[in-house]
Amino acid sequence: MTRDGAVLVAVLTVLWQALASAGVLPAYLVSPAIILRESAALVRSGELLRHSAVSLYRSLAGLALGAGIGVGVGLLAGMSRRVAGFFEPLVSLTYPVPKVAFLPVLLVWFGISDTSKIVLIALSCFYPCYIAASYGVRAVDPVWVWAARNMGASPRRVFFRVILPGAALHIFGGLRVALALAFILMLASELIGSSNRLGLGFLLLSADAGGRFDIMFAAILAIAVLGFAADRGLLFIRSRLLAGYAVAEEAVHG
Amino acid sequence: MGRVLNAVAAALASAYPIVIALLAWEAFARFGAMNPRLFPGLGAIAEQTVILLRGHQLGPHLGASMTRVALGFGLAVVTGVPLGALMSRSARMGRMIEPLFSLGYPVPRIALYPIAVFVFGIGHFSKVVLVALECLYPIAIQTYYGTRGVNRLYIWSARNMGATPAQVFWRVIAPAAAPHVFSGLRIALPIAFIVTVLTEMVSSTEGLGWLILYASASLVQARVFASVVIVAVIGFAVDRALAVLRNRLIFWERETVLVTMR
Repeated sequence: MTRDGAVLVAVLTVLWQALASAGVLPAYLVSPAIILRESAALVRSGELLRHSAVSLYRSLAGLALGAGIGVGVGLLAGMSRRVAGFFEPLVSLTYPVPKVAFLPVLLVWFGISDTSKIVLIALSCFYPCYIAASYGVRAVDPVWVWAARNMGASPRRVFFRVILPGAALHIFGGLRVALALAFILMLASELIGSSNRLGLGFLLLSADAGGRFDIMFAAILAIAVLGFAADRGLLFIRSRLLAGYAVAEEAVHG
Repeated sequence: MGRVLNAVAAALASAYPIVIALLAWEAFARFGAMNPRLFPGLGAIAEQTVILLRGHQLGPHLGASMTRVALGFGLAVVTGVPLGALMSRSARMGRMIEPLFSLGYPVPRIALYPIAVFVFGIGHFSKVVLVALECLYPIAIQTYYGTRGVNRLYIWSARNMGATPAQVFWRVIAPAAAPHVFSGLRIALPIAFIVTVLTEMVSSTEGLGWLILYASASLVQARVFASVVIVAVIGFAVDRALAVLRNRLIFWERETVLVTMR
């Protein structure tokens, strides 16, 4: 984070605090000091941690399921024309459908449970992972594959030593998009149909119903911190796994 | 004539997985363990689609949703493109605004929706603002990379030949950045649809999201799928229209793959 950026954030926070203290702002824009105090209280009571853990479990389980299938099928589709021929029409047909529209159906099929949320998240995460993996494999220079084969590498070895590392950067790009999606859909599913009284979306909604703006902002802060930390975690894993490979410029999302 | 027939035959032959998927759906609906009311067959979904399209129930909801998509997306384009260009062309603005994007990107903006309802009310405005906020990110970021990645040699030679700063921008930077800007638009468009449906599901009294939730609560799952089909067809059509427009305007460069948020 650059110095100017930090200054901008600091100035905005101070301005917000000053306006809130002066009583100019409407009641729903609680001052930063109160938000921090309430966040600290929620952390101490363990409530925030409990809701965060449930939300994190749902989004990461959905991501793991969707990304596992998406990357797996995408790798196969990148290597085999026949697999690609089967999945390509299905993916391009169902891709423009907003998956969140299926939530009510999933709620009826699987009940108001973790399952319906995880299935929805997995469904959405499948697409960017599939597209990134299949595209990544196709973007691997065929000369490398030929060279490896020529030097006597087994198909297995070609896959693990040439194709997978070659496609890895694209796959991580897809994973990063999927991670952001997982958090959006986790929150959406908790806002629309949570009621097992757990999750940050539920905390947000119940604070909303009770007119507790301080708790609402504390929940939003927790969601922001969680999303940010997960993204940085993924980037850390990428830099560890791909150490030694030139990590090209951030393709899309800086 | 023969060429057209061949093309049609090839298209039909490549569509076989879709036929298989539809047959599998129908088979599960008929012989599966689920109540047909909960897992409707294709016939029931088609019937509900026709009912929705013929009746007068769909019109107002569709109108409300499309208004939100159009206004939110439009607002994001009008603010995102200048912001992205500003970030890359002015070092000072770049350092000031860039952190808002790199820090804010992984944060689900949808969390702000309940607050937006308080600030802007439950009608169009809160939804439009949220759609614009979510669409702003891909549009501004793609514009940023597009305008930053312009080959310096082009800019220098244009200046050297006496082009004014305005000419350099419109004749050199804008065309070079256009493909990136358009991929930002194509990433953002489905997001506009998602966020509209989503916010309508969370709290609304009209719109397709509300219609879907209402149909599901009435246990008419066939109507839910019919609404999904209608949303999907519209989303598909608008995306195609954007792609055609892009290829008309930017005829000199092929489109690259998009990993988008869906």
